[in-house]
Amino acid sequence: MVYVKWGFWGLFWLILGAFFHYTLPQHDVVRITDTYEKRVDPGSNSLFWSNADTGSDPTTPSRDVFFIQTFQTNDRPMIYRNEDTGWGWPPYFKFDTSNLQAEASDLLSKKSEATAQWVVVTHYGWRNEFFSIFPNAVSIKPADGPDQSVIPWFNIVFLTVFAAFAWGIWVRWKRFRANRIDPMIEDWSDGRG
Amino acid sequence: MAAFARLMFFGFLFLTVIYVVISIWSRSVRREKLEREWDEQGRPGDKDTYISSGMTDYENSLRRKLILLVYVIPTVAVAVIIYVTNFM
Repeated sequence: MVYVKWGFWGLFWLILGAFFHYTLPQHDVVRITDTYEKRVDPGSNSLFWSNADTGSDPTTPSRDVFFIQTFQTNDRPMIYRNEDTGWGWPPYFKFDTSNLQAEASDLLSKKSEATAQWVVVTHYGWRNEFFSIFPNAVSIKPADGPDQSVIPWFNIVFLTVFAAFAWGIWVRWKRFRANRIDPMIEDWSDGRG
Repeated sequence: MAAFARLMFFGFLFLTVIYVVISIWSRSVRREKLEREWDEQGRPGDKDTYISSGMTDYENSLRRKLILLVYVIPTVAVAVIIYVTNFM
């Protein structure tokens, strides 16, 4: 029983951790080398694609998606998709996809350039080649250089508040169980132990 | 627009559940506090009268109205996120 209990809670926190890692914003320092759009037909990976642009027909099976092609500071490629999240999940309420694409293509910088233009891309999501999924870029700001680091203030505050809430609920549940449920079980099992 | 309506509908539903649960919980906490106070003050008069007058005070209190923040805070948060994501 103890293994089942720990297994359950281990799995629960693992899934929750993965969920937060996917959903919460992260910052990358990258160099944008190209922007393009490509038709996608989300299939079994459709969970990792967003919706059609806000206001467009949401039922069409395929659509064009903006992409932003970049290189990270370690010279490895990273490709972002650039999609509206609209009023759906995750709650970034991003409607300015086309504006973001314009900003991205304004900050292009190839390897051969004398002074490279680095940018900070805020994004959520994962890149996985096996499922053809891409993180969704939310905002792009010019960076001071490749060594710039961004303090994730939002994540710090959010996770602190979340931990406080989880702890508060846990304490109240413990108290509720000790006061209401345990005495009841003792009642039922009276004279049987 | 359907997505917006869906968000409003389910958001409102979800927040209403939270609102109701917090209301019930807060009321029960207040009632327990009144029962304890009545005991500590040397049991002045009838217990039910003491508690019901205390509960009437609670019904009109700012504290109970503050539970409406359950609706206000998420709405403000959404407005702030929209501004930060799209216009900053």
